[in-house]
Amino acid sequence: MDSTATRTLPFVYNYKNHEGQDCESRLDITFPFDQENLEECVTQLMAPSQMDPMMRYLDENINLEKQLQEFVDTEQQKFLDDHAEKLLNQAANGELDIEVIVRDTERLYKEELLQFADRVGPSDADIFAQSFHRLVHSSSLEDILKRERTYAKVVSDMTEHMDSEVETLNNSQQQEMDSQINQLDITTTSEDINNLLAQQYTTQNFVRKRYESELEAMMGHQKNEYRDWITSQVSQMFQVSPVATPLGNRSSMFVSQQPSMEESFTIHLGSQLKHMHNIRILSANVTELCSPLHAEESLNGLNMALGLYSSSLCGVVVLTPSIQAQANKNIIKNANKSTEFHFEQIDVQLEKIEKQIKNLSTGDSSGSSNSNSSAEGSATSSPTKKGVPRLKTGDFFITKHSNLSQTHVIFHLISDEPINSPSEINSRHPVILGLRNILKTASRHDITTLTIPALLRHEMSEDMTVQWCIRRAELVFKCAKGFMIESASWGGAELSTLQLLLPDDISESLFTTLAGMVPSVFHVANPKILVDTSK
Amino acid sequence: MGSTRERERESRLCAVTFFARLHPGDVCGSNGLPLTPNSIAILGRAQKLKELQDETLCQYLDVIRGKHERTIVVSEYLGMSLEDYAKRHPPLAIAQILRIFYQVACGINVLSQHHLVAHNLEPKHVLISSDGLRVKLFNYGLHHMTKGGAYVPFPIGNIRYMAPERLLGLNGNVKSDVWALAMMVVELVFQIELWPKLKLSNVVRKILAFGRSNGVLEKIAREHQCHERYAEMDTNLRQLLESCLSVLPKRRPLPGELLSHPIFETVLTDLKKEKLQALDEGAEHVPLLLRCPLSQIYHLWQLAGGDVQAELKKEGLIRSEAPILGLPQIVRLSGASVCPGRSQAQLMDDRVVPLRLKALLQRLSRLPAGVYFPLLHSPRFPAHFARELQELPLVIRERDIEYQFQRVRLFTRLLQGYPHTSEQLRREAAVDVPPLLRGPIWAALLEVVPNGSYAKIDKFTSTSTDRQIEVDIPRCHQYDELLSSPDGHRKLRRLLKAWVTAHPQYVYWQGLDSLTAPFLYLNFNNEELAFLSLFKFIPKYLQWFFLKDNSAVIKEYLSKFSQLTAFHEPLLARHLASISFIPELFAIPWFLTMFSHVFPLHKILHLWDKLMLGDSSYPLFIGIAILRQLRSTLLTSGFNECILLFSDLPDIVMDGCVLESQKMYEATPKSITHRQHALRLQPPQALDIGVADVELKHLQQEQCPRISAKDVQFLLDHSPAELALVDLRSVVEFGRVHVPHSINIPFATVQLGDQRLEALQVPQLEALLRGRIVVCVSNIHQHSVEFSHFLVACGVQRTCILHKGFNVLHSIEPNILISN
Repeated sequence: MDSTATRTLPFVYNYKNHEGQDCESRLDITFPFDQENLEECVTQLMAPSQMDPMMRYLDENINLEKQLQEFVDTEQQKFLDDHAEKLLNQAANGELDIEVIVRDTERLYKEELLQFADRVGPSDADIFAQSFHRLVHSSSLEDILKRERTYAKVVSDMTEHMDSEVETLNNSQQQEMDSQINQLDITTTSEDINNLLAQQYTTQNFVRKRYESELEAMMGHQKNEYRDWITSQVSQMFQVSPVATPLGNRSSMFVSQQPSMEESFTIHLGSQLKHMHNIRILSANVTELCSPLHAEESLNGLNMALGLYSSSLCGVVVLTPSIQAQANKNIIKNANKSTEFHFEQIDVQLEKIEKQIKNLSTGDSSGSSNSNSSAEGSATSSPTKKGVPRLKTGDFFITKHSNLSQTHVIFHLISDEPINSPSEINSRHPVILGLRNILKTASRHDITTLTIPALLRHEMSEDMTVQWCIRRAELVFKCAKGFMIESASWGGAELSTLQLLLPDDISESLFTTLAGMVPSVFHVANPKILVDTSK
Repeated sequence: MGSTRERERESRLCAVTFFARLHPGDVCGSNGLPLTPNSIAILGRAQKLKELQDETLCQYLDVIRGKHERTIVVSEYLGMSLEDYAKRHPPLAIAQILRIFYQVACGINVLSQHHLVAHNLEPKHVLISSDGLRVKLFNYGLHHMTKGGAYVPFPIGNIRYMAPERLLGLNGNVKSDVWALAMMVVELVFQIELWPKLKLSNVVRKILAFGRSNGVLEKIAREHQCHERYAEMDTNLRQLLESCLSVLPKRRPLPGELLSHPIFETVLTDLKKEKLQALDEGAEHVPLLLRCPLSQIYHLWQLAGGDVQAELKKEGLIRSEAPILGLPQIVRLSGASVCPGRSQAQLMDDRVVPLRLKALLQRLSRLPAGVYFPLLHSPRFPAHFARELQELPLVIRERDIEYQFQRVRLFTRLLQGYPHTSEQLRREAAVDVPPLLRGPIWAALLEVVPNGSYAKIDKFTSTSTDRQIEVDIPRCHQYDELLSSPDGHRKLRRLLKAWVTAHPQYVYWQGLDSLTAPFLYLNFNNEELAFLSLFKFIPKYLQWFFLKDNSAVIKEYLSKFSQLTAFHEPLLARHLASISFIPELFAIPWFLTMFSHVFPLHKILHLWDKLMLGDSSYPLFIGIAILRQLRSTLLTSGFNECILLFSDLPDIVMDGCVLESQKMYEATPKSITHRQHALRLQPPQALDIGVADVELKHLQQEQCPRISAKDVQFLLDHSPAELALVDLRSVVEFGRVHVPHSINIPFATVQLGDQRLEALQVPQLEALLRGRIVVCVSNIHQHSVEFSHFLVACGVQRTCILHKGFNVLHSIEPNILISN
């Protein structure tokens, strides 16, 4: 396809000036011609260097435009025809690879038009999502939660059991070892001790493995049973009442585990048209936001279930080092406290992500990444270090959850800031840009409540001075504000609540200082006071 | 038959939907700003299509942007597609085929006259009325609005009807449409379906293989086993089709040439005859509503609760998938991501969803014909209907379908009669302005008469202000889809440059962009009207504001603003003065842009609806109305809080603001607002305030405005109850001659330090002054000024000073003074 071909032709306009002399005005016109440029060409032809400005008042522009239009129309048609002829001849001579064209055309039509696409029905996940969403917005909600709680209890009991048994085993082994060591060089040799150690290790491993496989089996069983049950409930409900609830259910998020400190604001963003958002600044441990859902009786279970397949999801940004696709240990533990009924168990999700990263890093991204990003993906993720596939600062991976207390989606944002030496960053730092990508992803996928670490740190350390914290928080606040303003033009879901998370070990005075910065950075909405005007 | 016709009437509107292409990763435009979403670009380009009106084209009515780049196009619909029609009525007679051939060619011709190509012609996109007579092209604008498919991920056009050069990637040639048309006709003539069982790739191969053979028509006939029909064909038709199906576009006829082919002679005479017949018979049984323009019908359909997105959802075209399932797994810093496979709900689905008019027709069927076609000049048939609705709040009126219908029809008539009807139009506009016709109504209120002058203005030669304009445009009301589209940017640039070129005496001040935005928004497809409206608007309200040195004008304006604040809100004025929070600190952008920089468009529209009716002083009252709305906050705020408050103006209730400003505007005598720099239509008379009588230094020294003797006389004559004249001369002078009912407070007795009304010791003074225009009159001007300051400090509303003092009252004829 030769789209760069152009042709330039001179246009000459002959006219009589106001004194009756023959004059001409000329301009080179390039084809293909864009009709939008016609008036501009007329202006150029009438420029003072070409034509007396007087001619404008004599309505010369009207005739000029007409003639130019005729010229352009004829020449444009000729140009297009000739261009087509050239290409058609090339195709006939075999200079163009017809097969490539055939293949590309077919691919395009099959991939983009429903009419030609190989129809696939909705996926299982999709069907289950619809069923669950429908069921959860019906009277069955309570049953679902009850069932989930029972299942969770079983799993947590098992884990507890495992933990206690392992501990008992540990203790007895320790005793045995102690007694052996006491007897060292008396009745036992170091070789004996080594043997014992190996034997103990095997036993422990065995016990652990047995429990783990038992747990896995139990979770698999629960998941199957649960999903079957949901499906059966839905088909029953269909027979009774075919009432549909809209997907866009805006459920509010109750925070049942009170974080230690918290303050909320309502803000308006935008210069003329103002969008309302909520900002909440709070200090908490990030794992509290991702605590096991069914650990206690709370409203969270209800909220998370209602929101799961809705278009108002909750997300949390968790920072993680770049070593490998590794999530925060406590979060993994929390997610494993109960069966993940809707998505894969977190370990499996992470494993898959790990695999994807390997694919990415070997530069073979075209297969796995989606079409619109494949070109960029392969261009930027050049295989730098073979064999050490890893994400870099500012990249993030995503895990999905239905069994955590306050989040459906976790953005694991890579940040390699060393724990003990707080550095200075600016608004072009990869972590900040990663944050922007997260907001963009959130907007595109209807995540309307997002929690971000306001200091880009999850724990306080000695070196984080008050000054540093203020600077860092200001940067994050301002960037977040900028991104939120920008997000109005992204055409996705609007972020309704942004939570700014501060470490739970932050001092109260520092919290107050940082919370005090929120209203000055974000314009806090003025309270609207209703005045009785009837007086 | 009757029922089909009815059904046909009820489905005159339809919608199609698709997704615009997402920008890959994270890219910025050449100006460093984020790229405009493609759906917005499509929306901007599609506006032009709305202007196309032809009997062979389905009119475009609306483009709606949904969430996540979904784009919905609303357009006219007719009968059924040619595809269905041919299936229902096989085989079509040659005469009818020719008729269809001709009408489609007409459609293509009209498009090419507008420099458009359809490029997606196929039997699905040709609509035919159920009686088989009328044919319209449908969805023909897809190629244009998506910039040749650049803004959408899917290919445009049906392969089977695609000319070979298009398969090679060449677009934009109208002769490709001629090919497609011929292919459709071939299908009808041969009574076949082109390559029904062939795989897509093989169809492509077939078409490309035509390149090596001549006689495409014969080849098709052979391949579809209808060589007999080919042989039996009318020679003329065969030759015409063969030329249309020439592989080289050069040999194909242009649509214009096609239309003049002799084969269509009978079709042509038939069509002409029918047109005459239609005129004779009239459309007797057509509901009145359907004789109104489709754009109005669609507007009413929306008011009647029509929701395009809901209709599409009902048809399963907007499938909602749980968003959590589509989340990517990894997103790199570059924006590259690893996503789960795209769901098929994202693919292009070309189904057409009809929008039913039944409910609307029923709703409006009760209305008398006089509402559909109001008579303007016959008092026997009052154009007014539903007057009681006019008492309701504007927001409700704007959503009331019957009311809007009536208003739209009335204004349509008035606009048709403009400028003859301008007086009546002004009267009606004072009630309210129907949103659908706001652009032309404003233009009429500004006394715009298009004269083609816009075309003559140079909008392209680069000037020194280009850079500033370039910077301002991408920041001007960008939340609005039209104004943020590339087409909107281009139009705004042209308008601004045209204005600058047309006013060599002025310069481009930042803010002109905001000022232009509402006009462009309302007249997006009529740049000339937008330009002329702006052209008239600026001298009316912003005379001399755009001078290179506009400081004198602005200073005068703001001083007058302070005076009027003291006039209507004395306590607030006192407070603001005491904390030195002067208008220069907050009000310049208000007035320089007529508030268009501080409010979103939908608020400006309502504000300007009223502004258009007032004179150059009206904006001042809007300013005071805003202050009044923030009054309680302002009164308790210090300087810093006020600055902060105005740096990001809080949500103002526009309805209240409009009402308040109107009330104040009407209650304020004209001379109170006198400004030297305002636009004057008549020279001042003897008792008016002379043009240069009041200088800036006076304005700045005097807290209260001056009133002319003429206005005082008028108040005395017509509404003496609204006037309180305070005569500051001595008792002796007062005794000699005075205005009846005036209050004598000799200035010498006043203790200015004691700022209480009671200190004046005039019985019931407060009651005498309350609710009236208080005019301070004296022989010595300075006395009036000082006393007026005293009254403001006491919180007396509407205090003013008589211009030229007591003596000017002597010259009033007939005499108004009495002596004891």
